[in-house]
Order: sequence, then structure tokens, then C-alpha cells
Amino acid sequence: MAGPGAGHKSIKGWLIMIVVLSQTLLAAGLLVAGILYTHRQALSTLDGRIQARAMSVAALVRYTEAGDGTVYFDDSLAPPSLDPYHPDWFAIWTDKSGLLTRSKNWPAGFEMAPTGPDRWYLKLANVRYRGLRLARVSVLDREEGDTFHPQTMTIVYASPTVQLDQQVQQSALYIALSSLLLLTVTVPLALWGIRRGLLPLQELAQKAALVSTDNWELRLPEEIQRIKELLPLTESMGTMLSRLHHAFDQQGEFLGNTAHELKTPVAVLKSTLQSLMQRPRVLEEYRTGIEDSLEDLERLEQLLQRILRLARAEQWAQGALRRDLQVIDITSTCEDAIERIRALAENRNTTVHLSKNGPVPFRADPEDLQLVWINLLENAVRYSPPGGSVEVAVGWRNGGGAQVTVEDHGIGIAPAHLPHIFERFYRGDASRNRATGGFGLGLAIVKTLVEAYGGTITVDSNAGKGTRMTVTLPAVSDR
Amino acid sequence: MRVLLVEDEPRLAENVARSLREGAGYAVDVAHDGQEGLFMAESNEYDAVLLDLMLPQMDGMQLLRRIRQAGQRTPVLIVTVRDEKESVVALLNAGADDYLTKPFDLGELLARTKALIRRGKGDPSPVLAVGDLELNTVDRSVRRGGRSIKLTAMEYRVLEYLVHRPRAVVSKTELLEHLYDYNWEKFSNVIEVYISGLRRKLDDGSARQLIHTLRGQGYILQD
Repeated sequence: MAGPGAGHKSIKGWLIMIVVLSQTLLAAGLLVAGILYTHRQALSTLDGRIQARAMSVAALVRYTEAGDGTVYFDDSLAPPSLDPYHPDWFAIWTDKSGLLTRSKNWPAGFEMAPTGPDRWYLKLANVRYRGLRLARVSVLDREEGDTFHPQTMTIVYASPTVQLDQQVQQSALYIALSSLLLLTVTVPLALWGIRRGLLPLQELAQKAALVSTDNWELRLPEEIQRIKELLPLTESMGTMLSRLHHAFDQQGEFLGNTAHELKTPVAVLKSTLQSLMQRPRVLEEYRTGIEDSLEDLERLEQLLQRILRLARAEQWAQGALRRDLQVIDITSTCEDAIERIRALAENRNTTVHLSKNGPVPFRADPEDLQLVWINLLENAVRYSPPGGSVEVAVGWRNGGGAQVTVEDHGIGIAPAHLPHIFERFYRGDASRNRATGGFGLGLAIVKTLVEAYGGTITVDSNAGKGTRMTVTLPAVSDR
Repeated sequence: MRVLLVEDEPRLAENVARSLREGAGYAVDVAHDGQEGLFMAESNEYDAVLLDLMLPQMDGMQLLRRIRQAGQRTPVLIVTVRDEKESVVALLNAGADDYLTKPFDLGELLARTKALIRRGKGDPSPVLAVGDLELNTVDRSVRRGGRSIKLTAMEYRVLEYLVHRPRAVVSKTELLEHLYDYNWEKFSNVIEVYISGLRRKLDDGSARQLIHTLRGQGYILQD
């Protein structure tokens, strides 16, 4: 979280923005609702009071003594205004004879018809008035007699809304202030909550920063492990780290082994050349020395080639290398491999038998399979006694898939070496293997390749009796 | 001087042996595995042992422990591909005198072997002196009283061995054992030839004789 630079999106900033925005919206909504409610309440109160005033004004309309139903307005009893500074004004029309009276403060030059809306607003000289029109109000004064015709009238009564406006303003101010106060409390609270909520992320980052090539373990405190939202992250980090750790170790080990193994052939080559240079020599000695050096170099090259082959096979096994593979016949790759080691076998007077059972299809690069068989056959021939035989069998496995066995009747492998023979650079017995030209890589390449194709390799060996290598490969449809 | 080289890589053994023979005039026996190396170290007198660590039959470390347990004081130079601190420490603690990592420089190997042999004989300086005789083990030159003396390779080797053991009686057998590799018996008569050649060259123009013969016992180098 330290110093998010330009161009970085901040979850915290985003959350803070959301919180502040929502709080402000809430406050604004509250304010509007409060104003509307107060206004409605105050207006209905005002309307009620205006109506009461209008009725009391109506009560001042009286019949004349004439008894013919004419009326007059007794303005001696007019009620006081609601607001002494902005007096109310009113007018009364009788339905028979029109305008009866107007209040004394009736706005000069202002005309109004007795018809129109029942409730209205009017602005006069910067003062807003609320008006009410009461139509067909009976004259409240009672006259006795048969000839009496009750009069009806229309009353218009207007009162300033100054008080109402003040009331609304006050309540708005009140709501706004209390909202602001709440904001100053809730926003920091929300910020604290956000920071607090993001704390495990920060801690996770700190713990993750502790992971290095020396320390692969991601040690997380209990409280972080308990956080549900972080669970997918911490779990995938864990698996990723263990995979990385494994790959890193493997790489390091391979590199170390490789460098180690290269030292001896380099030492040989260097010593050959240096001993040649130790003193002046005759031409023949130089020639021999150069031939020796070339031989040393060739061995070095072979080792490098093997290492490269293994590295490629591993890369492929890890899915880094993708190739288009054709369906090929395993039996024919075995035949090719046997053909390729024929010279070695004849040299050692060893015979190789192939027992086959028709074509066995498999999806692979034929070069890879050939390499597997050649490596296995080379070992079998090398460790067979002169005049011995090596048996190769290609066939189907019970339950699908292919099976290839390479069996010799040679010196076998000591039980102590058996668990290690597929390890890179492992030589059971240095002299034996060096004499036979091994680098300790052949079986490692075989295993890597076989496993890259989803297969398995197992070894069965009895010291002094012989060795059987069994390779199984999955059915074609498996891949 | 006679050196045992235990190295399983045949080409490397051949090169190192050749270099020791040509560059230092040492007799070199080569063993190709640990068992053979132990047998040779136990049955012969060597002035230094050059030991590879990764060996068939018995590894170098085991061999080193065995010869040290047997009380042998022969200087041992380890030649190894391992150069981690722990293994170097373990080697020195097991009784090795020095170590060299592969791939090494043959010149360095030669210089280290020479130094080990000198130290093993109690002479840290590369120039050895007995009386007015000076022997430089670096360029294998010999002077007496400021006069440079030309020696054959074999004469030098005999003299070098004697100079390392001044005033001591050195038998013909001891000389043979330290100057020739394993089939030294067939050279038994030639030592006398070298000694007489040396006497002639060293004492030429000097009043005093340096190499004395003790009949039935051997030779003694003293002023």
C-alpha cells in the first residue's frame, strides 16, 4: 500500500470515494425529504389557520335590519393578522351583489375575480402569500321569517408565508447541520473500517514479500487464513509457491549437476593440451596430442548433447514445448532402434530379438521413442556378457495401452543402486560406467520422455542374472 | 621423487602422470580405483599422493582416512570437482594437505606437488643448499660455489633426493624406490652409474667431496 504511484488503481481510494459519495447522497436525500415533509406539515397548518381566519371573517357578514336579505360587513371586529408585519388581506363577494368588501390593506391596483383556484400562491412586493378561496359560504347570521332568503358568498383570504418559509428553512438548516455532524463522525468511521478491512491484505503482502529463493514457505497468521475473501488468493498462492519451489529446485539441481559433470571432461581436455605445451615436442607428439584433444572434445560434445536432450525433454514434459504429434507405430520405432544399435551389438557379439504382435499405434514423435529404445538397448547390450542375448517385446497391456520390455541376461543392478538409476548423473559404479562410456544421463532421459508421454517405466533386476525394463504407454485416445 | 596418482579417468591420469614425469622428473605410479590406490600406498614409499575423490571401489575420502589411520605421513594433494567450503574443510580435517579443483592448471598442479614434497621433507624453500651446493627445485638447476652444473634428468633426480636428506645414509633400495615407479628392481645397477656421474660433475674443481659411499649401506651427502 506504500505510496501507490500514478497509474495505480487504489481499492482504498475507490472504497473511500464510494463511502463519502453514499453518505453525502444520504444526507442530501434526508435534507430533501425533511424539507418536503416540513413544508407539507407547515403548509397544512397554515391552510388550517387561514381557513379559520376566513371563517371568522365570514362571521362578520351580517344581514341588514331591512330583512330583505341584504348584507353588510361589520369590519369593526376583523381578526388580527397572523403576522403583524405582513398583514393578511381578504375580500368577500356575495353571490347576489358581487364584491361586498375588501380588507383595508388590499393591494392597490390588484384585481381579483371571485372565481379561480381554491388555493394559490401570490407574490406581492417580495412577499409570498398563500391564498384560500371559499365559495358558496352561507352567511352565518340568521334571520327569522318566511320571506328570508339565505345569502351565499365567496371569501378570498390570503396570508403571508413568511413564517412557513422560515420554518422550512430552519428545519432544513437543522437537518443539514445534523447530517454534517453525522458525516464527520461516520466518514472517519468508514475510513477506519476500510483501512482495518484492508489490513490483512497489507499483511499478506508483507508475508509474501518474505518469500524468497531461500525461504519458500508463506507463513500466514491464523486471522488471515480465516478470512473468507482471502481464501482463494492464499490457497492459490500456496500452490503456486510450492510449484515454483519444486521447479526452482529442479532447475538449480540440474544446473549444479551439469556444471559439476562438465568439469571432468573439461579437466581432461585442458590437461591434454597443457601437457602438450609443457615442452617443445616433435611433430608426431603434437599430432597425437591434437587427436587426443579432439577425442576429449567429442566426449564433451556428447555430454552436452545429452544434457540438452534431457533439458528439452523436461521442458516438454512440463508443457513448455508444444508439438504437433502424429500417430505412429511403436513396433516400427523399436525396429529402427534395433537397427541403429546393430553395430554395437555385433561388436560385442550380442544378439537382439524382437517379438512383435503387429503395429501398435501411438501419438508421439518417433525420434523420441527411438531415443528411449536406443538408450535401453545400449544399456542392455553393454551389460550383457559377450555372446549374450537381449529380448525386446512390443505388445498390448491388459486394459489398453502399449507395453515394451527390454530384457538382458547380464550383470544386473545391485539392489543398493536400483532406487537411483533414473536419477540424473547417477552412476552406480563410476569405473564400470566410465569404461562403458556412460554419463549417467541415459535412463534419466528415458524416464523423462516416457513420463512426458504419460507413460511409466519400471525396472526389474537381479544382480548377476539380468535386468528387465518395462515401459508402458497410454492408449492413443488417452492423449 | 616418487608420486602416487589415484585417478579413474584414464586420459586425465595419463596427462597428469606425463606432466609430473616431464615437468618435475618424478616417478609416477597410477592407480585407477580406490582399492588399487590403497594397495599401492600401503606397499610402496611415496613422496606425495595425488588423490581424486570420485573413485570406483573406494572413494578418495575413505582412502585418505585409511592411509592416515595407518600412520602414513606422506603429503596428500586432493584433486576434486567439488569446491564447496564444507567438502574442502572436511578434506583438510581428514588429513589432506592441499586440494585442487578440476579443471585445474597443470602448472599449478606441478607447483603444488613440488611444494608439498618440499614441506614433507621439512624444506619450505624451493632452493636447497648443502655446503656450497645449491639446488633449485623450480627450474631444476644445480650450482656449486657459484658454478652452474649441467646434469642429466636422472642425475638431477638422484641429487634432489639426496639433497632433501643431507647427512643421512640413503640406501640404494631407498633411492630406487623413490626414483622409479613400480618396476624399479630392473634398474638396480644403474644407480651406481648415476652416482659416479654426479660425483664427477659436482666435485670437478672442488677440494672437498660431497657424495660419500658407505660400503654395504648406501650413500651420504654432506659437506
